[in-house]
Amino acid sequence: MAKWGMVIDLDKCTGCQACTTACAMENNRLPGENWQDVLFYHEGKYPSAKLMWFPRPCMHCEHPSCVDVCPTRATYKTEDGLVLIDWNKCIGCKYCMIACPYGVRFYVDERPLVEPDVRGVFPGAGRGMWSPPYRAPNDREDWVHGVGIQPSGVVSKCTFCYHKISKAPKGVADLDEDIPELKEYVPACVRMCPPKARYFGDLDNPASHVNKLIADKRGVRLLDQTGNKPQVYYLSGGAGASVPGSRAAKT
Amino acid sequence: MSIADDIKLSRRRFLQASGAAGALGIGLNKFPGFVTLTEAKAAPPPAGAGATVITKSICHQCPARCGIDVYTTDGRVHAIYGSSEHPISNGKLCPKGPLGAYILYDPDRFKGPMKRTNPKKGREEDPKFVPISWDEALDTVAGRLNNLRAKGESHRFALLFGRGWGASCAGQLGPFGELYGSPNVPIGHSSICSDGSVVAKQCLDGNASYSAYDYRNANYLLIVGAGFLEAFRPYNNNMQVWGYLRGEKVPKTKITAVDVHLNTTLAASDRALLIKPGTDGALALAIAHVILTEGLWDRAFVGDFRDGVNRFKTGQTVDPAGFDEKWVRGLIEWWNIELKNRTPKWAAEVTTLAERDIVETAREFGGTRPAIALFERGAHTHSNGIYNGMAIHTLNALVGSLFAKGGLMYQMGPPYGPMPVKADDYKDEYAKNGPWKKFPRVDLKGHEDGYLLAKNMLQEVARNHLAGKPYKLDTVMFYLTNPVFSAPNAPQWEEMLKEVFVIDTSPFPGETAWMADLVLPDHTYLERLQDAPTYPFQGFPMTQLRVPAVKPLYDTKYFGDTLIEIGKRMKGPMGQYYKALNNSENVVRHLAKGFEKELGDNGVNGFESWKAKGVWYKKPYHWRQIGGEFYEWDGRGYNRRMTPAEVKDKLLKTESGKFEIRSGKLEHEAAWIARMTGRDPKRLMFPQWEEPKYTGGGDLHFVTPKTAMHAEGRGANLPTAIALFQPTVGGHGAKGALAEIHPSAAKARGIRDGDRIRIKSALGGIEAYARVTELTRPDTVVLPFEYGHWAHGRWATAQARGKGGAHVDTVVVNQSDRVTGMANYYTAKVTVEKA
Amino acid sequence: MATQASFKGPVNTVFAAAAIGVGVSLAIVAVALFTRGHAAFNTTSQGPLSWGLPIVTYDYFLLASTGLAFVASLALAFGVRDFYPIARRCVWLALATAAAAVVALTLELGHPLRAFWAIPLSFQYLSPLFWKPFFIAAYGVLLLVVFNRMTRPGWDYAANRGLGVALFVAAVAVALNAGAVFGMMAMRPFWYGPLIPVYFLAESFLSGVAFAMLVTYLAYGLDPKAMPDKARALLTGAMPGIFAAALAVVIAMVGSRAVTGLWSNAEGLQAFDWMVGSPLFHLELWVGLVLPLVLMLRPGSRNQPSMQLAAAVLVLVALFIGRYEFVIGGQVVPLFKGSWVPGFVRYTPSLTEWMLLLLALSVAFAVYAFGEKRFDLSATPGEKR
Repeated sequence: MAKWGMVIDLDKCTGCQACTTACAMENNRLPGENWQDVLFYHEGKYPSAKLMWFPRPCMHCEHPSCVDVCPTRATYKTEDGLVLIDWNKCIGCKYCMIACPYGVRFYVDERPLVEPDVRGVFPGAGRGMWSPPYRAPNDREDWVHGVGIQPSGVVSKCTFCYHKISKAPKGVADLDEDIPELKEYVPACVRMCPPKARYFGDLDNPASHVNKLIADKRGVRLLDQTGNKPQVYYLSGGAGASVPGSRAAKT
Repeated sequence: MSIADDIKLSRRRFLQASGAAGALGIGLNKFPGFVTLTEAKAAPPPAGAGATVITKSICHQCPARCGIDVYTTDGRVHAIYGSSEHPISNGKLCPKGPLGAYILYDPDRFKGPMKRTNPKKGREEDPKFVPISWDEALDTVAGRLNNLRAKGESHRFALLFGRGWGASCAGQLGPFGELYGSPNVPIGHSSICSDGSVVAKQCLDGNASYSAYDYRNANYLLIVGAGFLEAFRPYNNNMQVWGYLRGEKVPKTKITAVDVHLNTTLAASDRALLIKPGTDGALALAIAHVILTEGLWDRAFVGDFRDGVNRFKTGQTVDPAGFDEKWVRGLIEWWNIELKNRTPKWAAEVTTLAERDIVETAREFGGTRPAIALFERGAHTHSNGIYNGMAIHTLNALVGSLFAKGGLMYQMGPPYGPMPVKADDYKDEYAKNGPWKKFPRVDLKGHEDGYLLAKNMLQEVARNHLAGKPYKLDTVMFYLTNPVFSAPNAPQWEEMLKEVFVIDTSPFPGETAWMADLVLPDHTYLERLQDAPTYPFQGFPMTQLRVPAVKPLYDTKYFGDTLIEIGKRMKGPMGQYYKALNNSENVVRHLAKGFEKELGDNGVNGFESWKAKGVWYKKPYHWRQIGGEFYEWDGRGYNRRMTPAEVKDKLLKTESGKFEIRSGKLEHEAAWIARMTGRDPKRLMFPQWEEPKYTGGGDLHFVTPKTAMHAEGRGANLPTAIALFQPTVGGHGAKGALAEIHPSAAKARGIRDGDRIRIKSALGGIEAYARVTELTRPDTVVLPFEYGHWAHGRWATAQARGKGGAHVDTVVVNQSDRVTGMANYYTAKVTVEKA
Repeated sequence: MATQASFKGPVNTVFAAAAIGVGVSLAIVAVALFTRGHAAFNTTSQGPLSWGLPIVTYDYFLLASTGLAFVASLALAFGVRDFYPIARRCVWLALATAAAAVVALTLELGHPLRAFWAIPLSFQYLSPLFWKPFFIAAYGVLLLVVFNRMTRPGWDYAANRGLGVALFVAAVAVALNAGAVFGMMAMRPFWYGPLIPVYFLAESFLSGVAFAMLVTYLAYGLDPKAMPDKARALLTGAMPGIFAAALAVVIAMVGSRAVTGLWSNAEGLQAFDWMVGSPLFHLELWVGLVLPLVLMLRPGSRNQPSMQLAAAVLVLVALFIGRYEFVIGGQVVPLFKGSWVPGFVRYTPSLTEWMLLLLALSVAFAVYAFGEKRFDLSATPGEKR
């Protein structure tokens, strides 16, 4: 079994949000309900003000606090290291949203971010929250893995494009969009990223490119002190001296 | 559908556009939570498991023409990714790319041809469109055109176009104008786009074009007012390049970026210079000054002092006789009359930048090879734009980057086959010598009373029409341009459009359509077959084909065919020409015949293979300057040395065959320029500092940038784009138009973050929400264009963004650079107050 | 000895008011949820704020319920016979408030019915919310059993100590569990802490005492003379003292928590600035807690029915404010949303959310008043009436 993980090179990221829109279209997200978001930060004063951004998917943690708190095991950790939500089991208590330190979970039974509400313009059939005319083929709906158009009353989150990566040939070390026979299995955000700031591969395979990048560029994990142990690593600078992170072995 | 049904639908066609329908909340069908166990287990039915087809096409959301893979299953487009085999895309897309499916299924798009039944026109006048047949629509247009021609008034028909794509659409416009007999067919939009850089380059090196760039081999980039990571084309490829330059490339390319507010380009660069609007030329002059005084220029390209001793000393003139110029002309004269006192200290005062930053930038730029100085609208949409542009582009000459590896060049065209028929063979006497020949273009482009050196002057059309100088138009057709929203002083266009018969061809219910008498809607881009040669990219020839991913959803018609069908209805030989042309696919098939002799690198050799792959290209670029000598590709390498005459013919297309710092083109028209601008006829041919003429009468510079989510006018009606529109200043959530204003400027005006503010110029006022931020200069207020639509679909017009009135071109005065004709979008000054 | 007739007036009024409250609020909530779903709430993933006023309401009534059970347990588990006169009323009211809590939660959850099978079958023992329904179910059953048994002839705590202790343990488990839901959230330092469940326990007890006082007065038409002697004796004897003691403990906890939070430094603890910066907090602390403590300490006021009633109402309001500050405070500092979201999440409950509070309140009082009318809540264990 692979342990899928992502590496994001912050030196290359241009803050363009192509990851966000690629994800939004691939996963039929409501406008602004970004599973894959880019957060913008700033500090300092003119003429030396500083503008920064931070691309943020779900961290698919090794020890996810969201999974521990879910009373129905709707949120679960797969053998491939993904954190997914079973929409057939989720009761919409939102405890996982409370427990996630990274803010990557979405309960979209809420007021629309963009008016007019697309849910009114493209009303859903049956229990679907909406039905965008460009929606994914119906056979992609896979509620057990939280894939498809989010129904009402449940929480959703980034699946690392489970519907793509789960079909990848077994045993591949990296899902690289530049390899023609693998590109259809690459998560949308990784595949689309114009500066190729994203890499996706097997963290359990010591020979994978993602592991080499983490080693060579001293990849760090976000909020390591929470103990969640993300499977998303960030590269920045790559100097030998860097912010330490405890990259644990299997937990 | 019966006619009766059709008429019932008529009002709805525009009602949908005005956002009156369909805004209700989510359905009434669910009480969250109260579903039975069985229901809860029941996922949607597994249907639509048909085969997925991937169509190779190209994007339409900016000029870049990225190759796209359109995924269609059971006739439904559900995904768009970049084509891996396309040289611009390389499997990638910018954030707009995936949203294309939304554009195809835009609920507000027109469903077929319509005519206006409300004779009154205005923002508040519902056009009361009724559907008509294509025959009626086309007959109406042809009837008007034939009538004008019969009266000898064919010059009063104008066709204005914006984002032309290729020979099968925009390329047909020229012949149409010649056959019909109107100087105003077509009038392009380049003067409201980026002619400032095109003409500046033409004045210096003879190429009236945007540049192609070899970024991947450059070790230094100086980016001035170009929004490299937001707006500059090809945005998608720029970001791919950026990732390479900042990631894999050895050595890492250093980047200095110059702009008037802190955008992502500046933030991602090594050095961000927040310059005073309109003073970019002063920075470039100071950099040139340092390059010369510190001896950093490229001697192989520029030349050198005969004795090798650098005599460029601040404040001191130099004897031209002592310097041998190689590929430049007028360097010493330039130094003596302009550059010798343009010190970093001087520039620091003009630009408000720190002298230290200017000197460091100059030393890095001058001391790193290859280096590229790149500029666009930020630098040249000012009254002094020609000089800002020339000063910056001259830096490329000083460091020897022209046609060099890691430098910049110009784009080669595709080897298209000939059109099926020649327009010249179908000209009647009227077309050849009709009364229209004595009329100037309505925009006075190329006219002594107007803009002699400009490429187009679209922004002058409304003003000139309203003044009746040179004359009044009768019928105006629009193709992919919407100046009633996007031209400076846009409201003036509303007055004009009330007076003329307006034909719009957009599939979307924009402002032009709202003022239109006839709507002949185009296909949206995923429904079209349309050729599109590349914009300047990496120089090697390339041309794309937009291939329909689905059959047209509605009763629309590709603009190229609309034009041909109108042509067929024209009297005389013109009609015969269009009958011979037959249809746009025939045109495209003939274009593709050119590939039979020029096999593409990807194996494309004709129409079918072009359609299958979506692109034809053939590497490499044919010319290169190496160490001050020019070489031509001989099939194996850049081995064939070129003579100066060949260089003049193919590369440095000036009178002297050199890079003319003393511009022959400007010198040639010096008397006219001096008369129109008051400039000194002895100096005006050199890049120089000139104070910009700010317009509007306010105290804050008003800057209206393009953001990454601006999808050529469609971004305003794309909910997902709206949600992401102004990310750097917290536009997530799309509260509405955010105007960036510095805390000191805000405090002085009693404005707090989030306040509603009014931005006023001599022309009027608009409103937005204040975003008080340190990311913007204290003397500047920034509001991206695309807000303030009063038509264009339900999301575009929603109060928070559209009808709330943040339409920037309401307050931008229509002033143009007299030489380049470039509209001075970023030169306005405004007052800002709490609303 | 009082008769049924003497307190029918106010109970009928309470019942009528509560019934109207249920009708109005349920109608508004139902229409909102049917048409807009939870979009009718002002909670949002983007704010971000996931748990809003409905969860505040839920926890408030749940803790009130366990608090009432504690008060009853003084008699039923610990044998303080002074509390016999209000024990059965407390047990019933505990049921009523628990029902209110469950109603609030049911309308807040995305799929409440699914919870009935999905939670028990999950065996997710790591989640406090897995245990919670078991605890609440056991607690509810015990309340019903106790309520039923304690009017049997010859009933006494000593003979039924096991049942009383079981109820007490179940109530403690529910309250501790409710605290653990928040206390385990290490990523939200405003909530985090091993002692948070204990904090919940103390507040729960205080709300139980206050509710007990309030309904005892309500039951006897706000007229102490109408009370049975033993009840009056309790209210002029042990009750104000216990009330004061509970208040003192809670004030100490609220105060020390605020001080510790304000002068500590970690991301998320800015919520204490938000909390203390709000006038509501000062209303809660000074008017809602300190003032009642003073009233219950001063000899001149501690036995005054009007003062006791006022103190009880003030405390109940204060505890609601406190619950609101606690639930919202843990979310008010946005986690990972960039610089441009406000420093504190802006949240004001929507009309629907307020109506949900009114619904819970109305349910509690309707059930309570129904009990007064249908059962003899004044029945004292072991005494024949």
